[in-house]
Amino acid sequence: MVVRAIHAVSKPQNGVGAFVVQCKKLEFYYCDWAGSSKGMNSFIRHQLPLFAQRNPQVEMTVTPRPRRHPFVRASYVNGQAKVVCLRNLEKLQILDKVRLMKSDNGEKLKRVNKPVTSINDGVRGIFSHLHSNKLSIGLEGMELKKKKK
Amino acid sequence: MIQHQVPLSSILDSYLAPGANVFIFTSMKRIRIRGQLSTSQFTPFSPIRNPIASCSRCKSTRHNSSQAAASIPSPFPSPAIKPLVLDAQFSSNLERFPSPPPFRALQSAKLAALHARLDLSPKIPLQTLARALVDATADPDRGHNNASLAILGGDVLGYYCSEHLMCHYPRLPLEVLWAAQRAFIGPDALGTIAREWGVDAVRAPGGEVDPGLLQFRQEMINELHYEPGYFKKKRAEELEASLPPRMRKENPNDDYTPGNWQLRFNEAGRPQRTTITYRVMNGDQFGMQPSKADHVPKHTTLQEASSNFVRALFAIIHLHGGQDVSKQFFRNHFSSRALDLSKLFAFDHPNRDLLLLCLRENFEPPVARLISETGRRSAHPVFIVGVFSGHDKLGEGVGASLLEAKTRAAVAALKGWYLYSPLDVTLPSEARKTDSKKTFKPNMVDPGEVVVY
Repeated sequence: MVVRAIHAVSKPQNGVGAFVVQCKKLEFYYCDWAGSSKGMNSFIRHQLPLFAQRNPQVEMTVTPRPRRHPFVRASYVNGQAKVVCLRNLEKLQILDKVRLMKSDNGEKLKRVNKPVTSINDGVRGIFSHLHSNKLSIGLEGMELKKKKK
Repeated sequence: MIQHQVPLSSILDSYLAPGANVFIFTSMKRIRIRGQLSTSQFTPFSPIRNPIASCSRCKSTRHNSSQAAASIPSPFPSPAIKPLVLDAQFSSNLERFPSPPPFRALQSAKLAALHARLDLSPKIPLQTLARALVDATADPDRGHNNASLAILGGDVLGYYCSEHLMCHYPRLPLEVLWAAQRAFIGPDALGTIAREWGVDAVRAPGGEVDPGLLQFRQEMINELHYEPGYFKKKRAEELEASLPPRMRKENPNDDYTPGNWQLRFNEAGRPQRTTITYRVMNGDQFGMQPSKADHVPKHTTLQEASSNFVRALFAIIHLHGGQDVSKQFFRNHFSSRALDLSKLFAFDHPNRDLLLLCLRENFEPPVARLISETGRRSAHPVFIVGVFSGHDKLGEGVGASLLEAKTRAAVAALKGWYLYSPLDVTLPSEARKTDSKKTFKPNMVDPGEVVVY
């Protein structure tokens, strides 16, 4: 056999072709009675219907959780879930939180030090001193002497 | 204290916007409020009209996969249709079905969300999408599982992928072509793609589970009791269970192992080598032994079931949208994935292959020359060697010894030859009589890879 093949699996590049929203589910928990759910109840009445309509990619559930603080849980395509407590927040503050969770990719937060992260090689290649012009630093005089001979 | 004069859920019900995938749990018992998506569609084919006890499931589904496309322009039912109470009446009987009945597809927020997430055309009804999620191991009825769709989808996917690879890389050796095909649309790639689409699987299939989940039957692992070596044994069993059936130790000759064709015997009873030609003639699109067509396994794995779902979904897109739509879907979700083709090659004798290639193409025989070096007597020498054919440099390699650098240079030269990509390519599926913009220009066809007898 002249050429053998190595098994590999192609890697995803979300957004290069299609973009798939990474948040797949948002679960809202509220209490009808407790004061910390006041903003949450207002959010469910006034903001959620339009938010759900504008984001049909995300499955949403609304569940009562009596005598407890309200929260939202977001499940992501990568298997992770994020939970944010929403007690005593106003409806627009909740909307901001929910938008943030919807646009998140579900990965754990990590420090990004490099400005660019890429799986592609740099177009300029890597510098190789073995390919560059041969310079003899500090030996210029010696070369001149050789040439005289 | 907050007082609601009207329960929150009833307010929401009136607010619910069309297209929003919201479920409301009004009490801890999780009763579903009839919003837009929870309405059951009242169509003449709907099984709700006929009591489930008397109707055959086939009538309803056959409509859902083919005729529904013509009669239902939108996958979502119109808001004017009043919800039926009948589905609640039959909800107690749902467990009798091996997979969720078609009418439940309209009640699933998961399914609608998946439809929107993949940006599918509104021509594709939710019931059809639900059918793509039913594996043959969950429902053996061919009218309800995705087996037939998966065959079509696998073939169309294979056509697009092989066309893409063969036209853009006409010199790719066959083994590498198979590996590339498998890297884009092989079972492991499709399983990954389904997971990236956010498709969840059921623990066990049934009529009562959400139709938005992937329905398949997997082998249940018997729970072990603690004894010395418990975790080692458990890990081994889990690993074994995660493998496809054909790769398990229990039945090595039951099906086939990828890459290794099942041992064949000639007429004299001696083991026979599986050649490339044999794999071309008898293998599937990845050059492997095809699985038995009429054999439906009792259990399957998540990967197998997921890949069948992706194939079935592709078939649905092809059937409902046509070739242009399915090609666009292929470009968006499959060929846009990253794969470095140069990493798929493994050469046994690159110097010999390069020599043979040069002889075949009437090039001058390759000569290796040292381009540069440093630290020959040190612990870490570096040599840069180029292979030249006459005055043309075919390839260049870096190595810690002269032989290594020479071999790497030959590999680079061979990869440069095999990975040639023409600039102007017309795919056969792009050029059609109706499309006046593109006329078909014949593509390059290579004599083939180097063969050593």
